[in-house]
Amino acid sequence: MSRARAEQHPATGMTLVVMVGLSIAFLLFIAFLNVVKSGDIISEANLLYAALVFYAGAGALYLGFGVTGTESYIKFASLATWAGLIVNTAAVAHRWYEAGHPPFASLYEMLLSFVWTLAALTLVAEKRYGVKVIGTVTMPVAIVGVVLMQLLRSEVHPLVPALQSTWLHVHVTLAMLAYAACALSFALAMMFLIQDKLKTESFLVATSVFTVGIYAAILTRFEGMGGFNVIAWDPENKSEVFLAKNVRLFVTIPDLGWLMLLVFAAVAAPLTLYILARVRKNDAFLALANRAVFISILLQSLALVFLILRVRDGSYPSLDAEGLYPTALGTSPFILAGLVGGIFANLLYLLLLWRREDLERLLPDADALDRITYKTISIAFPLLTLMIAAGAYWANKAWGSYWNWDPKETWAAITWLVYAGYLHMRITRGWRGRRAAYFAILGFGVVMFTFFGVTYLLNGLHSYA
Amino acid sequence: MHFLEVRKTNVMVPSPRSIIRDTWKTMSSIKTGVILIILVVIFSAAGTVILQRPMTEPDDMARAYSPGMLRLLDATGLTDVYHARWFLALMTLVSFSIIAASLERFPNAWRYFARPHKSPDEGFRRVLPIQAHVPITDEEQGLGAAERAFHHMHLRSERIVRPDRFSLFAERNRISEMAVYIVHASLLLIFLGAIVDGLYGWRGFLMLTPGSASNQVEMKNGTNRALPFSIQCNGTGEETYTDGTPKRWWSKLAVVDNGREVSSKEIVVNDPLVYRGVRFYQASYGRTGKLDRLVLNAIPRNANGQAHEISLSPNQIVSLDADTKVQVAEFIPDFVVQDGHVYARSNDMVNPAVHLIVTSEQNNKVVNFWLPEIPGIAENAASPYILEPKDLKTGVFTGLEVSHEPGQWAVWAGVVLMAIGLTFVFYVVHVRYWVVPVQDARGNLALWVGGSANRNRDAFEQTFKRFVEQIEKELKPKFEEAADKPAAALPKTTTAGR
Repeated sequence: MSRARAEQHPATGMTLVVMVGLSIAFLLFIAFLNVVKSGDIISEANLLYAALVFYAGAGALYLGFGVTGTESYIKFASLATWAGLIVNTAAVAHRWYEAGHPPFASLYEMLLSFVWTLAALTLVAEKRYGVKVIGTVTMPVAIVGVVLMQLLRSEVHPLVPALQSTWLHVHVTLAMLAYAACALSFALAMMFLIQDKLKTESFLVATSVFTVGIYAAILTRFEGMGGFNVIAWDPENKSEVFLAKNVRLFVTIPDLGWLMLLVFAAVAAPLTLYILARVRKNDAFLALANRAVFISILLQSLALVFLILRVRDGSYPSLDAEGLYPTALGTSPFILAGLVGGIFANLLYLLLLWRREDLERLLPDADALDRITYKTISIAFPLLTLMIAAGAYWANKAWGSYWNWDPKETWAAITWLVYAGYLHMRITRGWRGRRAAYFAILGFGVVMFTFFGVTYLLNGLHSYA
Repeated sequence: MHFLEVRKTNVMVPSPRSIIRDTWKTMSSIKTGVILIILVVIFSAAGTVILQRPMTEPDDMARAYSPGMLRLLDATGLTDVYHARWFLALMTLVSFSIIAASLERFPNAWRYFARPHKSPDEGFRRVLPIQAHVPITDEEQGLGAAERAFHHMHLRSERIVRPDRFSLFAERNRISEMAVYIVHASLLLIFLGAIVDGLYGWRGFLMLTPGSASNQVEMKNGTNRALPFSIQCNGTGEETYTDGTPKRWWSKLAVVDNGREVSSKEIVVNDPLVYRGVRFYQASYGRTGKLDRLVLNAIPRNANGQAHEISLSPNQIVSLDADTKVQVAEFIPDFVVQDGHVYARSNDMVNPAVHLIVTSEQNNKVVNFWLPEIPGIAENAASPYILEPKDLKTGVFTGLEVSHEPGQWAVWAGVVLMAIGLTFVFYVVHVRYWVVPVQDARGNLALWVGGSANRNRDAFEQTFKRFVEQIEKELKPKFEEAADKPAAALPKTTTAGR
């Protein structure tokens, strides 16, 4: 059956594989540059590089399984995941040994632990619950995580006094476990929606809105006359350039802003075409919208490549200071994550568009997914509770107050409340299926905002994480 | 019962009682609970987006919002959401909702818990979703087989004797029925702790230099609070990493109560000193910008004297020889010269200058000696000694957060209780089994087997299926089991394929 389908759409299937292959090759190239630069053989960077290769291999195989439904891919995919996990463990251990504290102190170290947890949970979900396709979602996330790590500062940072506490490690371990469980529940809820026969167009709307949101956020860095602002980097001190306390210096990369604007238009096109299709009641627009997704992926990849190339070489002028300043990818981790995330979301949509029947055959049935989503949340919720409690206990020891209404704290509490709401609706009101799935997706959205949004949009005591 | 009768007689006119009853109904509904949760979410999120009062400087507030907007925000309490009266009222409503919802549902759950339904009647048997029939030939043989199956599943079954029949009942983890009340009670306990702290707790700041003692804690609102005892600082210090970032701050503190030293401790960040419910935290460390010790090399201008090193503190007069004395007149951590005068620009150690006075008693000569030599002001050339700076130490201070949180124990107890409660809610399942011999319309004897689980029903269905299979197995005569073996091995091959 699957083979027959593959022959029906040889062109589209091949294009996807080639595109995935190309992006992996590109990511490997970036990582390779870092290895060459660092020089020594047995280092954390090399361990991470090896992990990246394994995860990338696993991701490609999972995707291949998703596309063709060839069962034997799965075996090799989980083998590659195992290998990646082992190397990742070595990297964590190396880091731990070198820093003298568990790796949770900086964004880099937290990513290291997060990727580890994600890989471990993927294997658990696959072996224990038989959700074989989960790697299709989690492995690319792991790859993005490892690539981000390559770009972030990886020096061991000494811990300021407030962070020297066992409770910090307890707190962050619990946070990572809880967030990874939330991520898993999100992926499962999405799969549920596929199995629950949610229309493919609805996924088109979801991915398009997500991507448009990303580029709208990115375009806040747009500077008049097509420039694009990024934070300046001081290569000698290995730090961002500050004008004053907490005021970073931005440099403007010329013309990159136009490209971002173009890509924004490209990612907005599918959404516009979808709305046209609904208004005019004409399915021809829908077909066009799907093509537009394909084009937008190509343009998004172009934006990513140009951003990386322009950032890596050259110094740029700034509006706030005279002279030219270099910048580094490490200063814009969230722009990078946004770009990669957008590409990834759209690729997943294409996978769904082209291989929905195969996916439906391969995924567990809707009821099972609904139950596993609930089960993951029933793991995540106690972990969230303990995470908040450990954080409060630590804050009480460090600052003399267990609750400060600091933005990160408040948003952690909001996350907790959202999941508490989910549990109440499910247990006492018997919410099942779609409503519960939407709730789980909302919960993960809040988690992501707490993790990334609060750090970058709102200031507070949590500024170092 | 009485309650209902009253309601009946006053159908049209809402009596106080019916109002109370309706309010109670509204408060205890899940809908109210969820609406309250949503409100709490919205307002706490607003508090993270809108700049908040005590943390943000008034200047920054004025810069961020227009005066009219700021007035509006201040009037509605949105600039200090978490301490606004209405937010407190909202939290009180949440507490009431939790209490009402728990009380409303508790009697039912308590019935479950206190009086387990051990003997299912016909109505119950008809509607129970998870059930099975196992044909038997003899009542006693069937019950015996069921008892052995229970034993096989590590469950203790009891025989329920009724006038007309025997039946079996077994259960596990009955406490799970109470779990959600444990969680709700723990949440209330946490709220209680927070309320106690809100009413009776306080926080402040205490700055001490080595050797000094104080009982005056500076509160957040600028007022001072006198402690019934005082805190003495016997030394403080900082250790740094090689790159200069702070690694460790410490302070040696002693508690002086009624003139007696009653307690002492070296505190570091994350390890406070606690005395009579008041906690002292190492919060900051820094330099006061005041001179602590100045080391100088004094070289006499006439050839017969010896160069020697002297050490000066503020208010100390040091003799350079029998005739000459030196003292510190002024220390400026960050100096600037303007119109022939020296001014202090800031209290940070950026550009320090020391004003020394060298006096010779014999000829009553007073020389203003400046380090560094400030042209037009310094009279360094007139001094009988050349003074070279060797070392300069400014005073240090330790910044202590002081807090009194009498309610925190309720908070921690609540947290522990919640952890226990959540474990029971999610991972401990109350399962029940009933086995009743029944006779169908045609007079065939069978075992009615029923089961129920309060959560995780799909997993329980599998367990229940295994249980029924076990009964069937126990019912079979021994010699048939051997013939069954190949068939039993079949499922194994399918699992091995994974």
